[in-house]
Parts: sequence; structure tokens; C-alpha cells
Amino acid sequence: MPYLKTSTEWYEQSSLLLKARPTSTRITSKYTVLKPSASKIKKREKYAAKQAAKPADKSRTSSPPPQSNPEEVTATFVLKTYDPVSGTCLQYETTKAAEVGRLVSSLGRLGREMAALPEAIEDLSAPQDAGVATPKVDEQGDVKMGGVPVPAATGTGGGKKKKKGKK
Amino acid sequence: MGREHLSNDEFFTQLGNLFEHNRKKGHGSVYLTQKRLIFDSASTPATPTKVADDPLWDTHPENPLPVLIRASNNASDKKAGTERQDVAKIVLSTIVEPGDIDTFYIRYAEACKAGMSSLKKRDRKKGKKDKKRKKVAV
Repeated sequence: MPYLKTSTEWYEQSSLLLKARPTSTRITSKYTVLKPSASKIKKREKYAAKQAAKPADKSRTSSPPPQSNPEEVTATFVLKTYDPVSGTCLQYETTKAAEVGRLVSSLGRLGREMAALPEAIEDLSAPQDAGVATPKVDEQGDVKMGGVPVPAATGTGGGKKKKKGKK
Repeated sequence: MGREHLSNDEFFTQLGNLFEHNRKKGHGSVYLTQKRLIFDSASTPATPTKVADDPLWDTHPENPLPVLIRASNNASDKKAGTERQDVAKIVLSTIVEPGDIDTFYIRYAEACKAGMSSLKKRDRKKGKKDKKRKKVAV
């Protein structure tokens, strides 16, 4: 049950696992906020006292480090990919809020694999747009030739407009 | 499980409540799970049929399959001597159709970013202070 070092490594390994076992693999992410235990609070207070007692660091000219609250909660975000059939379990843990967006988007990419969708989002609209755009250009050209701005024509008016332009 | 799946919109409001609940309580967990939906339900007739000859039958289904998303909190029991209270388990689930996956996950990311507020914020000040703080964290 390894914790992987980086989120990219976790993503790559999970992706491979999903490719091999797409139906049984599941991804569980857990967001936990823990209040420190009494002993943990004591430990933190002891540490803070020890730090305060130390002679001031000469190299550091700025103000002392921000006072860490000994009763501060510990929040973690753990991602776990698990396949019950093979027993494979891949985990990644973070405490940084900055990573959440990236991690959820990789969950999304893995979700696409679960749904058996292609990995890359193909841009299907491009050729369609080109097909629609060409007649528009023609219309504009006609309008310019006529020299008169024509309001949006109805379906049947297309032919008439062209004739007017030629005159 | 006989629970009804929520619609995607309803799921997001409930998920927001779940995170809010966690924030108010000050501790606790939120579990999020995702997996391929393979069991038959009214909305998904497309279930990959197992082919005896092909051991990798599930790696290439004919049609894209929906994804099942679940969210839950942790249930807890009252414990003497602590401030722990009885908390009932809240379980949510929704089905994301293959076509909606991208839009769903964009909203999902927003919901998670907003909900996971206790995680460490990005530290703007670099330098020696970081080293100090790392020691505290360990």
C-alpha cells in the first residue's frame, strides 16, 4: 500500500491500473481534518518553548517566525486508487490547498478512462466551423459588391440578393 | 443499495453542505469515490457483456459507460471525556453520463477547492522561514 512521492506518478500509475482493470478499479479521495490530540498539543507547546529559548539566529534579520498555534488542526487530502481484484492500491497524500485543483482535474482525466472515453478531447467543431464559415464569407462578399448593407436575409432571399449585387 | 441517485446539480448542493458541515464541526472527514458504473439501472442499458473468450472483455466496451460518484462523511459515536458527538452518516451518490464528464469535473474541482478550506494555503514568503516551518510540520 505505497504512498507515491508525486501526484504525477500517482496519476500515471493509476492510469495504467485503470487501463488494465477498468471495471473493478475505484478511486477514493479522503479529505480529513484532525484536531491534535492532547499529547500532540503538549509536544507542540514544548517545541515552541524550546524554539523561543534558543538564542536568536544572527542570519535572520526579519521578525521571528509566525507563532504557530499549538491547537491547529491537521488537514490532509488522500487519493487512493484501489483494485479489489488484484489488490493493487496506490495512494498519494497532500496537505497543500494549491494542489487540490490539479488533483481533481487528474481525477477527471481518470474518470474519462473509467467511462471508456478517449483520453484527449478532440476538437470536432473545427471542420464544421469551416463549413459554416465559407457561405458567410460569400454573403459578405456579395454585400460589399452591392455597396449596400443588406439586413439579415431570409432563406429565400439569398438568390435575389446575388442578382442585386451584380447590377 | 436502495438509495436513489441524486441529479448532478442536487449532488453539488449536498456536497457543499457536507463540506460546510465538516467546517462547522472543525474536524472529521469527507470521502469521495468514483468508479465505473457497471450494474444495470434504468438509465444505463449499456452494460458490457462478459465474453468468455476474451479475458480483457472490459477494457474495450462498445459504448462509453457512466461514472458513479459517491460522497460521504464519517459517522461518529459519542465518546465520554471528549467533545465527540453522535453524527449520522450522510451518503450521497450521483451518476455522471459520459457526455457530461468534463463539465462535471470542472464543477467538482470548484466544489472541492471551496470545501477543503483547512488545507495549508500557499506560502507567499520564501526563504528561511520555510525551513523553520517544515521542522514544525514534521
